[in-house]
Formats: sequence, C-alpha cells, structure tokens
Amino acid sequence: MSNTPSSDTRSSESLITTDVETGSNDRITPSDRTAVAARDLNVYYGDEQAIDDVSIEIPEKRVTALIGPSGCGKSTFLRCINRMNDMIDVCRVDGDVEFGGKNVYDDDVDPVALRRKIGMVFQKPNPFPKSIRDNVAYGLKIQGFDGDVDARVEESLKSAALWDEVKDQLDSSGLDLSGGQQQRLCIARAIAADPEVVLMDEPTSALDPVAASKIEDLIDDLAEEYTVIIVTHNMQQAARISDRTAVFLTGGRLVEYDDTAKIFEDPEEQRVEDYITGKFG
Amino acid sequence: MATDTDTGRVEGFGEVSRVRGIAFEYLSLGASVFGIFALAVLLVYVTIDAFDLANASPEWLLTYFLTLVVPFLGFCLYSARDRALTRRAVTVAGGGLVAVAVVFTLVETFVGQIPRLNWQLAYLFAVGIPLTGYLTYMGARGQPGSVGFGLVGRLIGGTAVGLALTVLFLVFDPRLWFLAYTLGVVPATLAYGYGYVREVPTAMTAVIPIGIVGTLGAVLLRPIVDTYPTTVFVYLWTLAIPVAVAGALVVAARGGRTTALAAGGVPLAVATAVGLGGQLAGLAVGGPNALVVLAVAGVPTAVYLHRVFDVGEGVIGLGLPVLLAVGALAGALVVETFGIPAPNPWVSETFLTEAPSRTASEAGLYPAIVGSVIIIAMVAVLSFVLGVATSVFLEEYTADSGVVGALTRLLQINIANLAAIPSVVYGLLGLGLFANLLGFGFGTAVTVSLTLSLLILPITIISAQEAIRSVPDDLRRGSDAMGATRWQTTKNIVLPEAFPGILTGTILALGRAIGETAPLIMVGAATTVFSPPSSLFSKFSAMPMQIYAWANFPQAEFRYGVVAAGVITLLVILIGMNGTAILLRNRAERGS
Repeated sequence: MSNTPSSDTRSSESLITTDVETGSNDRITPSDRTAVAARDLNVYYGDEQAIDDVSIEIPEKRVTALIGPSGCGKSTFLRCINRMNDMIDVCRVDGDVEFGGKNVYDDDVDPVALRRKIGMVFQKPNPFPKSIRDNVAYGLKIQGFDGDVDARVEESLKSAALWDEVKDQLDSSGLDLSGGQQQRLCIARAIAADPEVVLMDEPTSALDPVAASKIEDLIDDLAEEYTVIIVTHNMQQAARISDRTAVFLTGGRLVEYDDTAKIFEDPEEQRVEDYITGKFG
Repeated sequence: MATDTDTGRVEGFGEVSRVRGIAFEYLSLGASVFGIFALAVLLVYVTIDAFDLANASPEWLLTYFLTLVVPFLGFCLYSARDRALTRRAVTVAGGGLVAVAVVFTLVETFVGQIPRLNWQLAYLFAVGIPLTGYLTYMGARGQPGSVGFGLVGRLIGGTAVGLALTVLFLVFDPRLWFLAYTLGVVPATLAYGYGYVREVPTAMTAVIPIGIVGTLGAVLLRPIVDTYPTTVFVYLWTLAIPVAVAGALVVAARGGRTTALAAGGVPLAVATAVGLGGQLAGLAVGGPNALVVLAVAGVPTAVYLHRVFDVGEGVIGLGLPVLLAVGALAGALVVETFGIPAPNPWVSETFLTEAPSRTASEAGLYPAIVGSVIIIAMVAVLSFVLGVATSVFLEEYTADSGVVGALTRLLQINIANLAAIPSVVYGLLGLGLFANLLGFGFGTAVTVSLTLSLLILPITIISAQEAIRSVPDDLRRGSDAMGATRWQTTKNIVLPEAFPGILTGTILALGRAIGETAPLIMVGAATTVFSPPSSLFSKFSAMPMQIYAWANFPQAEFRYGVVAAGVITLLVILIGMNGTAILLRNRAERGS
C-alpha cells in the first residue's frame, strides 16, 4: 500500500474516513445475479493449505476486490476461478467453484473452454512479442473467429482506452509500448475474446501512479459490461473502484465479505479494521 | 577484491588497486588473440597452398597487390569513417556476388551437363513443393484462423521451396514437370489468388487438395500423353514466366508499374530470345538451360539492382565490387601484356566442376560437393524436425514431478551423455542399424544422413531446450489464460520466441556434421566417386572423405595442393551455409 492517489479525482482522502467515497456501491441491489460462486472451497499446495473453506458469491457486472496480506490465498482463489491452478502440479482443489451455475471442477468441464469465457490480466504486463494488432486478435485467432477481426481489435482497444494512442502503430510490436500501455493492451487482449468475467491479479502494482489511475478508470468502465474480480494490495484502490470487497487473512480464510463502503467504514471484525488501518499485515 | 593491495597513498580518498583486474583483462585478451591468431595462420597457410602463391613470381604478386589489394585497403580506410557506407558496400558486394554467380552458372551450364537424380528423390520434392509453398504463403500472411506455421513456415518453407525447385530441375523430366505444373501448381495458385482477392476461405482451403490431385494426375498422365511442346517452351511456361511474374510483383510493391514490367520483363525477354534463338540457330550456346539460368538468375538480379538504385541504398557502395572487378581485370591485363609467369592455382573452375582424377592437375571435387550438399540438406531437415519435436515434448508436455518427471530427467541425462559419445561409435551404430538391419545400403546418402542426424541430434535437442526454456513463463501463462490449448501456446508463443535460439543450435550442429569423416568411413561411404550420386541409394562421397583420401596419396602435389584446395572449398561452402543461416536467424530475431 505504497501507492498514493495522484491524479485520481474521486478520492484523495486517507483510508478510514467515515465519508470515504467508494465507487458506486448504490448499484448493489439484492436482485443482483451471481456470476461466480465458491462453496466450501479448499486448496492445498502439497501439504500446505492455501485456501481454507471459502464460500463467496460474486455479483455479475460489478467490481469485486480481494484484499489481504501477502500469502493469504487471494491470488490462489482468483486462479481457481479459471482453473489456472491446474498448471501447478502439486495443487489440489476441494469444493465447488460455480460459474454460470456449473461447477468448473466437474469432470466434464474443459478448462481450456472455460478460460475462453474468463479473461485474465496479470500483475506484470505480459504482451506477446507480436504486433499490437496480433496481440489483441490473439484470442480471436485461437478460437477460430471468422468475423471482422479488425473491427473487434478496434472496439477492444477503444474499450481499453488505448485506441487513440496506438491507432497509427497497430503493426508495431506490443513490447514497444510503455508499461501502463502494455497493461491496457493486456486488458484489451482479455476483453477482445468477449469473456463474461475478467480476473485481474494486482494489475497496477508494477505501474506508476498515473498509469495505475488510468487502469482504475478503465476498470470502472469495464464493470458496465463485465464482471471484474480484482486482487489488490492497494487499499485505496480497492476502496475507490470496487463495489464489493472480500478480505482474506493469513491461512487462506475469508474473514469478511461485504459492500466496500461497509468494509472500509465499519467492518464487523476487529482484525479487518486492523488490517485496513495498517496495524497488521 | 582489489582493495587488499595498497598502492600509493594519495591525499583525499586514497586509491583502490586494480592490479589483479588489469592482469585478468590482459590474460583474457591474450587467450582470445591466441585463438584468432592460430586460425589465421591456418587459413593463410592453406590459402597459399591452394592458390599456389608460393610459386608466384614477385612481379605477379606485385601486379595484383597494386591492382587488387591496394584499392581494397584504400576503400576500407575510406569507408572506415562511415559505418553506413561500409554496410552498404558489403551489401552490394553480396549483390555483386549474385551477379558473378549468374555469369559463372552460365559458363558452367554451357560446359557441363546437369546431373540427373532418380525419381524417388524427385517425388519426395514433388509432394513437398505444393505443401511447403502453401505453408510459406499462408505463414507469411498470418491471418487469424488460417492454417500455417507463421515464422517457421516463412523461414523453413521458403528455403525448402527454393531447394525443392532446384532439385526438381536437376531431377525431373521436363514433360512431367510441365504436366504437374499445368495441372497442379497453376490451378492451386489461381484458386488461392481467387480466394485471397475475393476473400473466399474455401477456395484457399482447397489449394492443397488441388495441388496434390494435379501433381498425382501429372504422374499418371505422363506415360499416356505423347504430344508435348518443345523443352524450351516447357521451361518458359513452367519457370521463366512465374519467376518473372514474382519478380515483377516484388518490384511493383515499391517501384510502380513500369519498373516492375522492366524488372520482370527484360530478363524474361532476353532469356526467351536466347533460348529460342539458340534452338532455332542450332547453336551450342543457348537452348533450354540458358533459358533456365537466365530467368532464374536474371530476375532476382534485376530486382536487386532496382532496389539498390530505387531505395538509394548502396549506390556509393557499388564502388567496392566495381573496384574489385576492375582491379582483377587490370591485373590480368598487365600480367598478359608483359608475359609475367602466373601461378597455377589448385582451386580452379575444373577443380569445382570435374570428377576426381589420378593426375593432380585434373583432380576435381564436383561429385563430393554434390554429395555433401545432399547430405547436409537431409541432415538439416531431419535433425531440425527431430530435435525440435523432442525438445518441445520434453519442455512443454512432460510433467516436472512424479514418475513422469523422473523418467524425463533420466531421458535428459541420457541425451546429455549422448552428446559426448565419439562419432566413430555413431558410425558403428549407423553401420549396424541403417546399413545392415534396415537395409539402406553401405555408404548411401540415406544411411549417412541418418547417421549424421543421430550424431548431432543431442546437440540440437539440448540447444533447442535451452531456447525453449528461455521463453518467459509469463507469456505461456498469458496465452493459457486466453484459453489457448497447449499446442496453440507452443505454436503461437513458445516456438516463435525460441526460434532464433533453436536455429543457432542447429547451425552449430550442422557445422559439425558437414566436417565429420569418422562415421562416414564406418558406414562405408566411398572415398572417391567419379560421378555425382544418381539417387539417394547410390554410392556417393562427401568433401571431407575426398580430402581425407587425397591426403593419403603418395604424390606431394595431392597432399599439399589438392588437399588445400579441398579444404578451402569446404570452408567456403561451410561459411556460406552458416552465413545464410545466421542471416535468416537475425531476420527472425528482428521480425519477432
């Protein structure tokens, strides 16, 4: 939590103020449909338990932030949703993760097909060493998309607020962009394939404050079309952009999950308040 | 650290000793200079022997020193100030080499016969051509959703097409070529062009079936059809026109319609005139071969020259090749006029184009050169395919832990050990496995290529693994998270990134394969053959074998002059091949 809010216009208060502005929580209504839900989820790396009995319901077309100290299992939880943990040999998953009403760990679920419905943005921008156009079109290419690729590329870059900066250099390498632009390119790449959920694993932690604030604005816009689940270490960021916040604490336990305003203004648990105010973690 | 010796106490901050560091620096310098120096001595020694410079009269040496060496050094000094100029000069010298090669090929065509290989080899390439052509073309386009191997297709496919075309012309009956081209290649190309311009994907997908059916049809029709146009027309239709069209298209992309017509049309017209004229007049000069050579070499030269003048790249640099050509001519003129006795170089046109002989002055390396090139082509393809496949499997598909992981590690250790096994042992393996058990015959191109491929396979695998391992995991995870299958990630992300590294390893390994003698002796390759191989299963020789045989001759002329000439030829071919491969690799690095 070293980032300080810089050019952000919505909130420059310190963390725990009673009048903290938290995105637009008022969008949350009881009728919100659930996009992703976990039930009694346990994850083990070998003998070590990374997630301990987590149950959570994440609403559709909202930004949900996962916060907590390092090693608390929030990234592991994120990777359970699109089954990226399958790539780790020693990882074992117990319990259900429901997406679209179906348990993604059922035997008849193809993880590759699942990942085409769930986009992911990583901590470190990782554009492919290809042209900007090919980067964005990558998901379309591997899915054998036979529509107008260029139109989709333009649309995705516009959604990622990158089009104006790169429209004249679509054929130059994605690696030539600055760090912040690279991360937005990765977001464009993730949404070009038209997923339902976008997972973000600390997407701004490798960026400078200006670039980070651009990404934050972008995340806010994305929530109109996509369910966004974001892991962050930056408490202000969670407060600013998310509608719901889940607090994980050591041992992979989900300690509190509620509307962001509630978490930051009046958390139920003393431990959560300690963590948010920086007394612990 | 360097602080332990205390030299001099100056006022202020004092000094830190760098004695050991400096000593180490000069030792390193000495080590590298030693290596370069040893190599230079070897090269000078061999060159003097090969070109018979030891017997050259002082006048002769002085003449060429003044006409060739001094202008060359002068140019070097002049261009040393300007890096761009040097680059251009070297680029243009390369173009000049192409032009010189055209002339030499012309001469060779009128003097020597083109060797004919048998139909098995031809068939191999006949199936290869439509396929590699298609892959190259699609790969170069790289549209989402299309079939193709991208970068790999562009690099390997392009080379393979060139190689296949050449071999086809060496091998194939022009009439079969005519039929295959008319029935297979033209319809396939038209279908592709139609599909591309009108954006009909089905037409593009139909290219491979059309090509294969057409080619097969040609093979079947060949004995049935009995009326054919003359050979000149066949070559004109199947080779000269497509090359001219391709050249014109390349130029048209940058230089406009008129220049494009000139670049494609003029060489075509000249080639047609020479081809037809030669035939009509019944002259020894001309005929089908002239047409082939002029069209194949002329169009690229025209395209190249257009580039030099149009882009303005290297117009000044044209000075170097001109300087060298004029210098050589002037030297020859002086030597001729004053009757200066010239040395008799062992590396000569006859040495490169004639069969071996008992007399040193008539000895030639031609069959061995052809044999070596065929082996290297096959070894390159075999070891590249096997090496990349193995390393991709080991790196991308096997698990790191558990039983599979243990087996993988065992395999790794074995591969590393295989790299250390002496080549004689591989020779024995080739003898037992390929020559005896599988019956590919003693000393045939197939047996030798398979043996040499096995020999360099460990090196190829290990270097390819290193290259694949150096691709950041971030990229793999990024691709996986997009919902790419393992194969899609490997094909689209890992292989293109690892390609330059893989190519580097393969180039180094091939360099080793081309110089190997021991396994060739073990599998029974002939030391001396008098005609180039007529099929993949006929007896043949390779350059190192021939050089080895000459070194054992009793006559001193052979042991010094001819061997030196052989070594120079081997080195030039090796450096040429490596240079081409390195150029390709650098392009790949820049392109990715």
